[in-house]
Amino acid sequence: MTATAAPTVLVASIGEMVFSSSPDSSLVAYGLGSCVALAAWDPSSRVGGLAHFMLPSGPSNGSGPVKFIDGGLDNFLKALEARGAAPNRIILKAAGAASMLAIGGGLAIGTRNAEMMQTGLAERGLRLTAGALGGTAGRTVQLEVGDGRFIVKSLSTITEL
Amino acid sequence: MRGSRNHSPRKRHPVTTLALSDAGETIVATTFSRAMKRAGEALGSMSGQAIEVRTPMLRRCSAADVVAMAGGAEAVVAAVYVGVKGSLQGHALLLLSPTDAHRLAQILLTGLLGPGELPVAAPTDPLIFDELELSAVQEAGNVTISAFLNELGMHLHQPVQPTPPQVVIEMAGAILDGVLMDLMSTVDQVLAARTTFTEGGREIDGTLLVLPRPDSLPVLLDALGAIGI
Repeated sequence: MTATAAPTVLVASIGEMVFSSSPDSSLVAYGLGSCVALAAWDPSSRVGGLAHFMLPSGPSNGSGPVKFIDGGLDNFLKALEARGAAPNRIILKAAGAASMLAIGGGLAIGTRNAEMMQTGLAERGLRLTAGALGGTAGRTVQLEVGDGRFIVKSLSTITEL
Repeated sequence: MRGSRNHSPRKRHPVTTLALSDAGETIVATTFSRAMKRAGEALGSMSGQAIEVRTPMLRRCSAADVVAMAGGAEAVVAAVYVGVKGSLQGHALLLLSPTDAHRLAQILLTGLLGPGELPVAAPTDPLIFDELELSAVQEAGNVTISAFLNELGMHLHQPVQPTPPQVVIEMAGAILDGVLMDLMSTVDQVLAARTTFTEGGREIDGTLLVLPRPDSLPVLLDALGAIGI
């Protein structure tokens, strides 16, 4: 009789990134509001990564390698490459950047996060193949490393991107 | 390759910490404790129920810690958010489970309209609130948080003003995202105060979360005599 390993769930908390190439693993970011989760999956090497970005830009990355989108994108992409994912093959999908509370004035931080994500990827010659960005609903996202499915759940819907 | 988690940035940066001594923290905690008890009394007075206020907790927290204090990123809560303006700036939230928020709304509306005139039917889906219930929950949050801020303002000898309350039913992590972004653009830790309210031992378990902006903490510490000790 062969023992079967339990599926692995790796959680990316705020400012963290997680990676796996185990086909039975899921990479998850729970309860995204204005934050943005960026999922990357290489269909050839079957390496997946998920980064939970908090802010568009900032002075340092003190508590996490992907706290800020502007400095954190390179950290995420290089860590993916180091694990065998090729930049020209990776499929990128993102979710989050919602605005649910009116805090302060000016452009909602969710909107700025979405814009910075699109701009930052374009500057690196990359683009999102799918995204669920903006709106007013919170989201939990899940990247299935075995087949690259990116599942976005809100309180009322479950969508596969 | 096995699953892996990467906590370490390639280039290390110093983590900003709050400069607050243990003695200073005790002074702030005592003041927040009084204000949170006053908030519990206001909620009890409004609902006509005896509200027990558990011993408040004051901690220096990471973003993940704050989310954990609210029950976890995916925990669905009914939240009343109030921004804090004036001499002390920051954010305050009253968090209730959806079931407890319905229960609180029923208690408040029954007290207001009388037991035979309650227009709100028992919900089949705890996440669905009608306008009247949302209004009741929002007002409960407003009264609770305002009582906290009034008490705090008395200790600071300066006005602390609430913004209009907002009520939202969502995942706790999603609600707190915007608050944490406002607080943590330049720091990696925030000072968070939390207490829980209990009515009758079970029916209403609420959490009051207060998060001062790091750049206005000197005002708070100075007014309370908590600097340089």
